[in-house]
Amino acid sequence: MSRLSIFTRGLIKDNAVFVLMIGLCPALATSSTVRDGFGMGLAATFVVVCSNLLISILRKNIPNEVRIPIFILIISTFVTIIDYMMQAFQPELYRALGVFVPLIVVNCMILGRAEAFASKRSVLDSVLDGLGTGLGFTLALTIMGTIREILGNGTFLGMTVFGEAFKNSPVIFMIMSPGAFLVIGILKALINKYVKKEL
Amino acid sequence: MKSPALIFLGAFLVNNIVLMRFLGLCPFFGVSSTVETATGMGMAVIFVMTLAAWITWVVFNAVLLPLNLVFLRTAVFILTIASLVQLVEMFLKKSYRALYNALGIYLPLITTNCAILGVTFLNIDNKFSFIDGTVFAIGTGVGFTLVIITFAAIRERLDLAPINPSLRGYPISFIAASLMALAFLGFSGLFGLT
Amino acid sequence: MTSIRQMIITLFIVAVTCAVVLSFVYAFTEPRIAETQAQLTLSGLEEVITAYEYKKIIPDTLWQAVDSSGENVGVVFRVFPQGYAGPIPITVGLDNNGKITGIRVASAAEGLAETPGLGAKITQPGFTEQFKGMTAADVALEQEGGSIEAITAATISSRAVASGVKKGIEMYGACLIPSCDPHMVFAEAERFVEVIKDTLWKAVRGADTLGIVFVGVVEGYLDDIKFMVGYNMEKIITGVAILHSQETEGIGEVIRDGEFLDKFRSGIPEAVSGATISTKALINGVTSGLERFKEYVE
Repeated sequence: MSRLSIFTRGLIKDNAVFVLMIGLCPALATSSTVRDGFGMGLAATFVVVCSNLLISILRKNIPNEVRIPIFILIISTFVTIIDYMMQAFQPELYRALGVFVPLIVVNCMILGRAEAFASKRSVLDSVLDGLGTGLGFTLALTIMGTIREILGNGTFLGMTVFGEAFKNSPVIFMIMSPGAFLVIGILKALINKYVKKEL
Repeated sequence: MKSPALIFLGAFLVNNIVLMRFLGLCPFFGVSSTVETATGMGMAVIFVMTLAAWITWVVFNAVLLPLNLVFLRTAVFILTIASLVQLVEMFLKKSYRALYNALGIYLPLITTNCAILGVTFLNIDNKFSFIDGTVFAIGTGVGFTLVIITFAAIRERLDLAPINPSLRGYPISFIAASLMALAFLGFSGLFGLT
Repeated sequence: MTSIRQMIITLFIVAVTCAVVLSFVYAFTEPRIAETQAQLTLSGLEEVITAYEYKKIIPDTLWQAVDSSGENVGVVFRVFPQGYAGPIPITVGLDNNGKITGIRVASAAEGLAETPGLGAKITQPGFTEQFKGMTAADVALEQEGGSIEAITAATISSRAVASGVKKGIEMYGACLIPSCDPHMVFAEAERFVEVIKDTLWKAVRGADTLGIVFVGVVEGYLDDIKFMVGYNMEKIITGVAILHSQETEGIGEVIRDGEFLDKFRSGIPEAVSGATISTKALINGVTSGLERFKEYVE
């Protein structure tokens, strides 16, 4: 497998949210605005890249029988690091993401990459794989955040999109929980119809 | 301070863990193809969620807080829950065979259920007492069970319905969940709960 | 197959390393987090009243706004009235005349639970600007005879803000008198309910009335002395505080002395020689105040 295909696998072909349907909880919960979705995506990317890197470095020293607890320890360490960093430097984003920041630790996407890829492959490949997976997750959350913020709040990154009239009476339910389920349902249907066959 | 009854109703209906808080979506979509499996999963979640709320509350308030080790919360909680699930599985297998047969296959799936870990974090963030935390965990678990069983019933009907092939499977399930969430939105503001 | 011992050792090393790394991260970020939090609260206060410094009176609830020369310019307080979907966090600034200098409703990211796009519109300037310049008496929605235009389809949220602000001013408005806080003289009370405007408050905790707090003015040696007294149900003075006095430095100023004021807690003290006029004035003021308001503690 070429380096490029390692990267694009996680980014597009096996996109965690749209194709594999994992990591759904944060994908739905934190995609009500572009900023929140993008922020969550980057936080998860940081964790998956760092944990892939470290696990790949240590892969020959980790006894097979206790690998899962060790992976969880490593992942939760990076999750706690990003948790505190975000509290210190991005307090508003942290408040918006709430409990979903520490919950990155149970995102199956991250443990999945550690188990399926980083514990077997070279350091560079593992970092690329983590980067692809993380950015694919970020991409999915940003797309959902864009759709939901534009329709539900009439804005994109806080800027008014369709004029004041729409901003004052947007499709409110799009930024609420039913909107999250609806957007991912329709996106998944579109992917099934137009995209999946070509991949 | 909220009364336990309000905490229960808040966790059960108003802030339903799946439809409003978006936690536990993996089992919600993954183990809801029939009402029977959904019921089993729901019961296992109530059981483990309550135990996890107890044990993490004790660990946090008796160990992490006095030793000023709160920064280890995430790591300690996830490992505690993982070991708890293992122990419960072993214990049920040996001592309560009937219960094990009913819940056993769902237990391993629960370790990665973010609803369990989410509830333990929310317990700490809300500074709940031991009793309040227990009530919150039970309310959340019952709320999870209610929606997963309802959702399974809807999905059983959807399987028989003539649906556009692009919408089959996940897409129509998401849309059904969206409608359920819309219905649950009607509970918001009930008793002034958030 | 790895030996059990090797497994345990590896697991132990990893766990200890993680804990050590995290303790460093924690030590590094902890002060930053506290600073960021304080900064956030402060910027929220700055939005509603301009001042050089905000002196904390009740943590997270009440601040005294002070300008660069140390003069009090007003107070800032936070209230959490029950809205449609939960408590609404509101910050209100008041100038010394009891007029609102600005209000700020926290956004969804800061804990507002009102329906996005409907109730949540109470955060917008179009709504909050209407409160500027009002006194407690003016704060009312159009539907209730006031002049505040409610958000369309969000009357509950709008009304909650209006009544929260109004109640807040009634509760903390007394603190406008320079450097006053009823808690200074009645620490056990949770809140104070005004009985006579700017003069008498009931000290309340939960549903119980604990006592009263009153403000009085007497003629001193040089200028009027304004003071505040807390008096509980057991007929014991819980505290006396001087709100305003300009007595002779070093002599009459003894009435500002904590030691002297504390004597009131164990009964009415003797006048202090050398500052007889000032201390007597205060003692008489407190005694006549108690005489006047004692029926309220029965």
